[in-house]
Amino acid sequence: MNEIAQPEVSEDLVSAPFFLRGEVLHGTDVIQTSRDLGVTFATPRIPFDRAVPPRTEVPPLLNVPLAEIIDFLVETGQRLLAHDNPHMQECIERMCRTHILPRAVVENTARHAAAYLDKRVLMAEVEQNFPDPRALDEWVPKQDFTGRKSFVRAFAPRLIHVLPGNSPGVAVKSVAQGAMVKGINLFKMSSADPFTMVAILRTMADLDPTHPIVRSMSAVYWRGGDDATERVLYRPQYFDKIVAWGGGDAINNVIKYLGPGFQLVSFDPKTSISMVGREALVDEATIDRVADLCSADVMTLNQEACVASRFQFVEGDEAAVDRFCARLHHHVARRAAESGDVRPLDMDMREAVESMTLMDDEYGVWGRTDGRGLVIRSDEPVDFHPINKTANVVRVDSLDDAVKWINVATQTVGFYPFDRMAAYRDRLAAGGAQRIVHLGEAGPSTIGNPHDAMYPLHRFVHWMAHEDGRG
Amino acid sequence: MGIAADKLTALVADPERFAFSAGDLRETQVAALDERFQERRDRIRLLGLRARDAGIEGIARIEDVVPVLFPHTAYKSYPESYLMDERWDRLTKWLGTVSAHPIEGISLDGIDGIDDWIARLAEQGHFISCSSGTTGKSAMLIASQKDMDWSRIDTVNVFAWGSGVVPAQDRLIIGCAPVATVPKNAAIAQAQYEAFANPEWPRWAYPVPPITVGSLTAMVVMRKKIAEGTARPDEIAAFEETSAERARLVADAVPATAQFIIENRHRKLQLSGLWNGLWQVAKAVRDAGYGREDFNPDNSIYVGGGLKRAQLPADYQDYVFETFNIPADRHFQNYSMQELNSGMPKCREGGRYHVPPWIVPVLLDKSGDEALPHAGGEQEGRAAFFDLSLDGRWGGVITGDRISLDHSPCACGNHGPSIRDDIARYADLEGDDKIGCAGTVDAYVRGVA
Repeated sequence: MNEIAQPEVSEDLVSAPFFLRGEVLHGTDVIQTSRDLGVTFATPRIPFDRAVPPRTEVPPLLNVPLAEIIDFLVETGQRLLAHDNPHMQECIERMCRTHILPRAVVENTARHAAAYLDKRVLMAEVEQNFPDPRALDEWVPKQDFTGRKSFVRAFAPRLIHVLPGNSPGVAVKSVAQGAMVKGINLFKMSSADPFTMVAILRTMADLDPTHPIVRSMSAVYWRGGDDATERVLYRPQYFDKIVAWGGGDAINNVIKYLGPGFQLVSFDPKTSISMVGREALVDEATIDRVADLCSADVMTLNQEACVASRFQFVEGDEAAVDRFCARLHHHVARRAAESGDVRPLDMDMREAVESMTLMDDEYGVWGRTDGRGLVIRSDEPVDFHPINKTANVVRVDSLDDAVKWINVATQTVGFYPFDRMAAYRDRLAAGGAQRIVHLGEAGPSTIGNPHDAMYPLHRFVHWMAHEDGRG
Repeated sequence: MGIAADKLTALVADPERFAFSAGDLRETQVAALDERFQERRDRIRLLGLRARDAGIEGIARIEDVVPVLFPHTAYKSYPESYLMDERWDRLTKWLGTVSAHPIEGISLDGIDGIDDWIARLAEQGHFISCSSGTTGKSAMLIASQKDMDWSRIDTVNVFAWGSGVVPAQDRLIIGCAPVATVPKNAAIAQAQYEAFANPEWPRWAYPVPPITVGSLTAMVVMRKKIAEGTARPDEIAAFEETSAERARLVADAVPATAQFIIENRHRKLQLSGLWNGLWQVAKAVRDAGYGREDFNPDNSIYVGGGLKRAQLPADYQDYVFETFNIPADRHFQNYSMQELNSGMPKCREGGRYHVPPWIVPVLLDKSGDEALPHAGGEQEGRAAFFDLSLDGRWGGVITGDRISLDHSPCACGNHGPSIRDDIARYADLEGDDKIGCAGTVDAYVRGVA
């Protein structure tokens, strides 16, 4: 069970309402804690029946044309950006109290997120995911070489989305994708951000409270891993798929509920890296320019995102690599200062870095453990997870030596120089990596490209066949 | 050594040692902390770094020591690759950054595994204990001969005070748990034997293969290899086989121990172990048809540690006491940890853990960054301790435990600081509700047994 406590009247207590298929539910039945900041917030109890429509009900979006859904999403996007949208303004206020990132970063990402709700973007997404997007709108006729006929439909699925807490963009993307596959969607919000999804859905409800999109969406919070809630919801009788972000206990707990009819679509936790060839170290100006590109990747969402680079494999001798480290530290620290983010490093990492400072004949350390930006140079990746504006430069004689550190958790590889990328991409893919990009461009990707080595929308839908016999 | 610190550690066998109030002790404790700080700042490199970073020149109040306390993780800050690649020179050098005494004269030629490395350190008077992390790194705690000698004395005093059992060399000691073979455990077991066991009755050693630091780190190393993708399938299969074999031996140890206990039920017994093993042995004894009336009403028990996440029935404690006929006032428990050198026994009247005068408790905020202001009465926070008895390494440790500390007198009549019997680990309290798209390959590792 969620912990039930007497609500304390306190300035730190913020209310996080739920959204249930068009209706907003306020309540302070349960006091929850946001782990990152130790801030408490209050939620209602989950009214399960309202969050889970029975399977006897055909999904409300099923026969709404995709074009109309996309129009509604685009309109929502415009409203999200509007200054007179009270839900988003309130959401940003509240998020600043529960989110670990500084206000400006939160505001920016929330605004950027809305950019996904663009007609061309959404259409590209659908067209890349489905060989024939018509299957979303209608029963598409098929005929095989024996003459047997049938109809196939990308049928509206029933989805539970377990949202991450580190990126408001995922909330926007999830709601758009859930709408485009016409699903019945239940969003489980995270303790780091129990607000954004509800604010988006309320913005939609203001546009049209009875729109089938609005009636297909619910957003609630429970503490991840809470058996009393998850044992109720995680059943194939209620949902087809659980779309989960992240790893660790949150996912391990989900796994025990999987079985026939209840599948996991997982966006795995990822680590991103950089590979910097010796061409970057030819002169001081180049070192500075490439270090700046590299710092942009390190500091993506202040290194909270999966695309943010954590390990930088740099090809060269120690002296040259150290010059790169010094410039990289300069640029990381500059970006950290510009964002106003001064969170200090947590204790374990501080200990590990201090130990490296004492073993100074083997490691180089630029900066301090004060959260203002740090670069550590070593001969192998350090065995902690570099986070919170920390770069680990691993010196290699050849980028070939970096390939062995690629693994199934490697997502994005930012590469320099660009003309050597093709020589590495096969080995990177074999190791498990998913993207190779120009150094400094870890963030953007070609619209509609696969994510986490799959086309997600294609996996979300319930592929249904209507066999129509021979001839 | 310092005058003030010596004054406090000299109380080790004083029957009234828990009677001094925090107020009585404060001045001497502050002086002792400063003595320790002054004599160690140039000898322990990590301490020197901390002191410089924090700009600390001396300890004038207990709170002053906070910036130079070491988190329990400080002892696992070595790069894991040193272990994996058996780089003993590097590991030795790292150890030197947390040791209070210079590590010199260790021959590093032809070392055959970590157990050998530890044995060579022991020959030069450096004793390494390892915490048993199966999924993460092991902490490596260095101690001196003086620390070993202290542990021997302290363990007997702590048990006698907390249980009321007189050291009369009249018991048969029965181990009911596999114990890691690290020097501190060996020293404690030997001291307990010498004080409480009938010298004609050898100690029943729990019949499982010894858990050495090498066997503990093998698991950690394997996990890391799996994560990095360098572990081959045959290697994992072999490891699983060894684990299964070990699990079988551990399972066999329970009936063997139960049988031995039944055969010796007429003797005065002292059982020792962890709750999980004790409960399993008790169950086997009961299943064989024996129980309370078959055992001596003067039996005693030494339970170390908590549940370690074992799943047991709610009444597991009573079940164990009842089976072996342990009197109600003998329910000894001790609060300590590998990082400290002394124990804090639970009193029988008040049910609270008592802090001896040579341990300075400091209550910190949850993050462990700052001392909590004294508000009077019982206060909850993160436990930190300075164990003035420690010689081989720095005595100040920030633990992972949440405790409730009270400086006012306990129901047992003692005036010293005491801790409520509801100690919890912050790590267990928090759960993991945090998810994000960023993460490590550790999330992809299914454990090895």
